[in-house]
Amino acid sequence: MITIPASLLRRVYDHTEASYPYECCGLMIGAIGENKEVHAFRTCKNLNTERAHDRYDMDPLDMLRVEREFENSPWDIIGIYHSHPDHPSRPSQTDTDRAWPAYSYVIISVQKGTVATAQSWVLNEGERKFYEEPLITGDSK
Amino acid sequence: MSSVTVKIPTPLRPLTSGQAEVKVEGATVGEILQKLDAQFRGFGDRILDDGKNVKRFVNVFVNEDNIRDKEDLDTEVKAGDTISILPSIAGGL
Ligand SMILES: [Zn+2]
Repeated sequence: MITIPASLLRRVYDHTEASYPYECCGLMIGAIGENKEVHAFRTCKNLNTERAHDRYDMDPLDMLRVEREFENSPWDIIGIYHSHPDHPSRPSQTDTDRAWPAYSYVIISVQKGTVATAQSWVLNEGERKFYEEPLITGDSK
Repeated sequence: MSSVTVKIPTPLRPLTSGQAEVKVEGATVGEILQKLDAQFRGFGDRILDDGKNVKRFVNVFVNEDNIRDKEDLDTEVKAGDTISILPSIAGGL
């Protein structure tokens, strides 16, 4: 299960809508565990400019910066979000092929420029398969 | 010998008993990763190809520098350096 405060999720949606028709990505920071809680997010650069409409490749320097920013906090990078322009919020084969265990992968479907659905997925590494986890929109603190 | 701090990303922490960072001594990145592999069973398999190169979908930084832009596993480290192991994050439709 992953809980994202409504106000944060809205800002993530803003990022995905502003990036439409291209894919965008970012990192979610929060408390690790069975029940993840997102406390912050950071937008990251999609380095795949040639196929930005259907691929993302997160800039590793952005990830490094986020890791450093939160290294002395009680939080960690707990997941990744990315958008699917005009496609459902289900993981693609590419998503599965490149997925890492433990992280939550929040996929946001943006239809004609407006967020339609969002779902969160976690990789089962043994099966190399994504399973959906409940995405709870919490109250803003 | 230089003691450096190695940052472990969330997906690899089951291998380090949950530790987010580990202090290791060594002169090069390669030496440090070998020591981590000796200390934590299965660690090397996750980040190294045949023990010689960093896997394609893993990034290793010494402070702010990607070792691919330096001397890869031969990149030297000095006391107080921070090595970050970061999964490469990608996907699409
Ligand atoms: Zn995707």
